[in-house]
Amino acid sequence: MFPNLKRDVGFPVIGSFVLFLALFGGGLIYQTILSNGSAERLVTTMLIDAIIVIGIQIYIGNTGILSFGHIGFGAIAGYVFAVYAISPEEKLKRIPTAPFGLTDTQVSPGLAILIAVVVTLVFAVIVGIGLARSGAQSGSVAATVITLALLFVTHEVAKSWPELTGGNRGGISFAIGESLEGRALILVVLFASMLIARLYGQSRSGRLAIAAREDSLAARAMGVNPLVQQMAALLLSVVIVSVGSSLRVWQIGSILPDRFFFDYAMLTLVMLIVGGRNSVTGAVLGVAVMTGARELARRLGQDGFEVFGLGLDEAPLDWVFRENLNSVVLGLAMVGFMIWRPTGILEDWEFDQWLYRRFGRGTQTEPGRLAELDDVPAATFEASGVSVAFGGFKALTNAGMTAESGEVVGIIGPNGAGKTTFVNVITGMVEPTDGAFSIDGVDLTGSASHELSRSGLVRTFQNLRLFGALTVRENVEIAALVAKEHRTERTLRDVDSLLAEAGLWEHRDRRARELDYGNSRRLELARAAAMAPSFMLLDEPTSGMSDSESLTMIEQVRHMAATVGAGVIVIDHDLGFITGISDRIYVLDQGQVIAEGTPDEVQANARVQAAYLGSAADR
Amino acid sequence: MTELLQNLIDGLGRGSIYALLALGVAVVFGIMHLLNFAHGELITIPGYLTYWAFNQGWNWWTVVPLIIVSAVLSSLLIERVAFSRVRGASDFTLLLTSFGVHFIVAAGFLLYVSASVKPYPRPGWFADTIAVGSLNIEIFDLAVIVVTIIVLAGTTWLLQRTMFGLALRAAASDFDTARLMGVKSDSVIRGAFALSGFLAGIAGVFWIMREGQVTPTAGINPMLQGVLAALIGGLGSLRGAVLGGLVLGLAEVLLRSWLPVGIQNLTTGFVFVMIALLFIFRPGGLLSVPQVERV
Repeated sequence: MFPNLKRDVGFPVIGSFVLFLALFGGGLIYQTILSNGSAERLVTTMLIDAIIVIGIQIYIGNTGILSFGHIGFGAIAGYVFAVYAISPEEKLKRIPTAPFGLTDTQVSPGLAILIAVVVTLVFAVIVGIGLARSGAQSGSVAATVITLALLFVTHEVAKSWPELTGGNRGGISFAIGESLEGRALILVVLFASMLIARLYGQSRSGRLAIAAREDSLAARAMGVNPLVQQMAALLLSVVIVSVGSSLRVWQIGSILPDRFFFDYAMLTLVMLIVGGRNSVTGAVLGVAVMTGARELARRLGQDGFEVFGLGLDEAPLDWVFRENLNSVVLGLAMVGFMIWRPTGILEDWEFDQWLYRRFGRGTQTEPGRLAELDDVPAATFEASGVSVAFGGFKALTNAGMTAESGEVVGIIGPNGAGKTTFVNVITGMVEPTDGAFSIDGVDLTGSASHELSRSGLVRTFQNLRLFGALTVRENVEIAALVAKEHRTERTLRDVDSLLAEAGLWEHRDRRARELDYGNSRRLELARAAAMAPSFMLLDEPTSGMSDSESLTMIEQVRHMAATVGAGVIVIDHDLGFITGISDRIYVLDQGQVIAEGTPDEVQANARVQAAYLGSAADR
Repeated sequence: MTELLQNLIDGLGRGSIYALLALGVAVVFGIMHLLNFAHGELITIPGYLTYWAFNQGWNWWTVVPLIIVSAVLSSLLIERVAFSRVRGASDFTLLLTSFGVHFIVAAGFLLYVSASVKPYPRPGWFADTIAVGSLNIEIFDLAVIVVTIIVLAGTTWLLQRTMFGLALRAAASDFDTARLMGVKSDSVIRGAFALSGFLAGIAGVFWIMREGQVTPTAGINPMLQGVLAALIGGLGSLRGAVLGGLVLGLAEVLLRSWLPVGIQNLTTGFVFVMIALLFIFRPGGLLSVPQVERV
């Protein structure tokens, strides 16, 4: 579950505790300086907001999907908690005709929270399936609207089902009877939420979700099923939001539809965005900063310039410092951060990972060279009779090829020959009209991208698709995580050794998006090799490279493939590169294989000269 | 039968307003991939101006142009102040920016007007009906439907027959290529926002008449209906947006008349559930635009 116990469990525990102490300690100091009831309430509210914001961070941060719906889940949990926790006497006053015999039911608040979590989880599963169906991925607009609709449905139902919820008007709000005494429970839940959020972010599921957030297509091509990870993140985040919302209702002592609606969704989102949505540390920082900013704005709005005893009467800025200023501050903070720093103050900086890099890791030495493998089981890739027609146009007709472990097979052809269509078929992007492909006789036709790579056919992309915000090492590590689960029969190579082998050791802590072109290509190769593939499918690996760079690439491809004992299928239009790298070549023209053989045989073939080399020579 | 016809006309009247709102959302989405959560502000702002104008002694003949012009200007202003600064940013950033703009406008009215409801008179003919056979058709519904048809015809002409329309459609299908072909990105984006504001203004005239009052959060409902209708129709499809609006309006009216009396006030909830089901079976909406993943 955790790739590295010290880094992924030990330090997050320490880090979460420090973070917890910082937030709570800051609150205590503020409260002691002001020493009045409203300061104490403010701090309690901040701690509960922090729980809910951390809960939301687990989903939004790790999946990149913007959700308004978590406050809708909060509303469900809040009402379930309230309906179960308040006394029958109170219920007779507020909701004497509650359905399901709920008027006479009362359980302890702890049990009510548990019931609230379970009920909300049921709704979360349903919404989660809907999100998955809508093709949710990072930044997905449809997914966001679905969550927005959830927020509105819960609000609408809460308003228009007074038998259960007491309805919309203040006079029939719930009074729970007793509000939350003391903060012990809040503190325990807050620390637990921080720890859970951090552990999830470091866990296998969290890593895979983050990979899909960075590049959904590349993650799928690596064997990640983003929908599974998104569902895991959703359920975990809903649990924390449910508990936090129950505590919120408990502390306030009442619940109204508007308490869990637009305004609160906005507040929690701004808190998350300001600190940095991709980091738990950022979420906590955002809660502290926005609680402070709003309180300051509220006081400025109330007292003009008389804040903290600083009297500046007859201020010329009276038109700014008015009541409700804190709402404007929220809106301005959101738009301002989106324009000038959309990733928030901390981006994805995590306190515990900084601690780990600083104190936990010790000095590292570059691992030695890897021996080439000769004991992995041999495999055969075979495609036969593959035809694809788009309407009347036949892009591929009866194309076929084979490849063996340890072999480099090239596919070449002029523009429009059907190379891309062929790649799309064997990467699961296009369903062939006819024909099939398999590894070792196991039919893979029609498999989804993530199933193909789990079966051993791992691809790279023509235009690089790295996980840009993750470090070089994390890019390779995520591949290794998937391989560990699905490629057990193959020999897995050590992540650090692969990095050294690809010449990326010194760059291992840099973000992938900072790499130059050549290193990015090498990283993509190393990442593919870490998948323990039977076959690596390289889609135009030299596009955008100079001739000399292409020549070095030949060495690297052969070397990386040998390191993991994989066969290579390489598609390119660069004749020099393909003849240099391949043991055997297939030549495509007008959707058909017109020749196959060793580089020399193919170059001597008259049809090939006419179709490809001839036209190349004319240019 | 009569009841069904009656409901159909009511639904079409309601749906026409949604269709205009959705079309405005879709035009902007097509051009910069921005789902505009601030679209409803193009009704809130004219709404407050309506309230102000009636206090100054204006009447509906002068207020209607005020609503339309102010909606167009608000749309252009919001683009200038906020959206022009996040062009090309990630979808996540765009969504939150528009959400933030909605919030700033709402909070601004809260700050400088007040949270309380501001009423103004509806036009005198608002509740009048004309009898056609056994049907009682509200003049208001009739006006909405007729005006919507005219506006949609005009918009179609604009998009299909003018240089601006061609530029807009080209930019919506491939922004970068359109720029290479000489389409000016600034003017086409501003044009899209102006068109979006104009459509919201027409819808706003009817919305504002029907409500008879305005509050700081008055924009939430028209925004939600517009966004949902655009999504039902299939984001990115202009025809889909119009269709989505009509479907949404009809669904609301028909559901309200079919639901048993006790749970009629849950209509909106049921509409949302139906939309959710639609997404589960047709994730791309009614007229989905095929999204090709570029490798």
